[in-house]
Amino acid sequence: MTALVAARAPLGRQLRSELRWILRRPRTVIGLASLCLVPILAGVGLWFATDGDGPAGPGLAAIIAGNGLVLPVFTLFLALPLLLPLVGAIWAADGLAGEAQHGTLRGLLLSPVGRIRLLAIKSFGVAIMSLVAVTLIAVVGVITGVVLFGGEGMLTLSGSTLSFGEGLGRIALTIALVTVQVWGVAAIAMAISACTEHPLVVMAATMAGVIVFAVLGLFSALDWLHPYLITSAWEGMIDVMRDPLPTEQLWRGTVVAGCYVLIGLSLAAMRLATKDN
Amino acid sequence: MTTSTSARVGSAASAAGSTPVFAARTRGLRKVYGRTVAVDRVDLDVPEGAVLGMLGPNGSGKTTTIRMLLGLVRPTEGEVELLGKALPDGVAQALPHVGALVEGPGFHPFLTGRENLRRAAAFEPLLASGDIRQAVEDALERVGLAAAAHRRYRGYSLGMKQRLGLASALLVPRRLIVLDEPTNGLDPAGTREVRKVIADLHEAGSTVVVSSHLLSEIEATCTHVAVLHRGTVVAQGELAELLHSDSSSLLIVTPDVDDALSALRAGRISARPFAEGVRVELIGTTAPVVLETLVHAGVAVHEARRHRTGLEDLFARLTEAEESEHSLSAVDTIEEGTR
Repeated sequence: MTALVAARAPLGRQLRSELRWILRRPRTVIGLASLCLVPILAGVGLWFATDGDGPAGPGLAAIIAGNGLVLPVFTLFLALPLLLPLVGAIWAADGLAGEAQHGTLRGLLLSPVGRIRLLAIKSFGVAIMSLVAVTLIAVVGVITGVVLFGGEGMLTLSGSTLSFGEGLGRIALTIALVTVQVWGVAAIAMAISACTEHPLVVMAATMAGVIVFAVLGLFSALDWLHPYLITSAWEGMIDVMRDPLPTEQLWRGTVVAGCYVLIGLSLAAMRLATKDN
Repeated sequence: MTTSTSARVGSAASAAGSTPVFAARTRGLRKVYGRTVAVDRVDLDVPEGAVLGMLGPNGSGKTTTIRMLLGLVRPTEGEVELLGKALPDGVAQALPHVGALVEGPGFHPFLTGRENLRRAAAFEPLLASGDIRQAVEDALERVGLAAAAHRRYRGYSLGMKQRLGLASALLVPRRLIVLDEPTNGLDPAGTREVRKVIADLHEAGSTVVVSSHLLSEIEATCTHVAVLHRGTVVAQGELAELLHSDSSSLLIVTPDVDDALSALRAGRISARPFAEGVRVELIGTTAPVVLETLVHAGVAVHEARRHRTGLEDLFARLTEAEESEHSLSAVDTIEEGTR
């Protein structure tokens, strides 16, 4: 018998194939299209609310009049507590549990794709798609905001006005910060996804986790726990709209989300390494 | 067909030398799920170049054994060697040369047959990126799916799904192909095509492991058989040899029935008359001895033939009366004989 050498398909080809597979899925297209509606609906809602006297609402909604660049930030913070974690969970669920359900995970392992490499490919797909989703919301938000509310610059919560370019910079920063938070949730979803063949279980468990974390964050008796909850950082992220930029909370929230990514992917790798398929 | 293929394998094995080479082998394989022992003490040998049929009733451990053979499932105990590489470490070396269809075809319903194969091909280590397109078309052609390749997998019939699964196993020339129930859901024409594919693979020198509950399927396509029952291998070896050693009587066609009977009885060989002559039980004697006795006694022997047992008889005996001491020892002797 001639000697066999370990062979691997090129990583780039695998990653491209993974992305093509995600984008070919009807639910991806429908999902992304629906996400585009979120800033439009929010914008239209706020536009009607600003018709009367007084502010359109608390927080960011109060400064939306004539301040269109706030809309993408407003929409992302609106979507962060539930909608974006759901989006991340769906992709993570389809990535492993969904493939297992269709029997296609077996095919990939037989190719063979190393199990750790498989997790890397899947995580790449989820990470890119989360970034795409967040960016898409922001871009549609910018367009909707400028069309509905106009705005040469960005009025911050601190009362100062940033130039249009600086405003876009703040929006880019928000995209990055929010995406990392979604990655944190999606990584945990990935760990659950490695344990089951039912995508619905992954989504339900992830969303239940997010809701429970949010509820735990309400009890002051659990103050000691709050720094470890990924959801606690989400409220503080409104800091991105202050001038000058207070970085402490934003930085801490990003580090916590980074820890969730590490923990989630480690758990997923441990499970995948020994899983029977 | 069976005899001709087994003869070819026999010559191939002798040409390879005295030490047989195995495409896959397992030793003391055991898998426990919770409290259920799915597979126990499985020592399976798949000689290189063989078409090995895995036979067994539902739940006999065929699929679990195959999944362990391919590194999909970790054995609780025991060892697996695939193309000479010990698993699980050798997976990256061995699996690129192995094509498999396990537990039914697995594809994405929203992609067409061609897109599904392209995705599978993207992960094949032995396929150069430039060759993917052609390899996919060839595989589709080979299983007769070219005309339906542009349709979504969702709309495929069971037989078409099965063909697509076969196509993905055939994307690259393989040294070993493992097919778990490949004819499931196929019509007679499809079954014949699968048989043809297996024969072609065998011709090209690939080793094939095919599991089936269809005995006629195994008998028609395989050179070797492994019979599983209750999670363990109760018999394995060359098909012809297994059937041969199972038949323990000789049918002798002769007009001189009475002379034959008395001659045999004088030689203390048990025999009884049957329609065209006598039937001799080969217990404590062999066919040449019987014939010599008859010829010496001047009995006209027109024809002497083994009473051939079909695979079905063998299978029924192995799986139904497996507990009895008699059949267990018979199995042991069969296995001794084939090693």
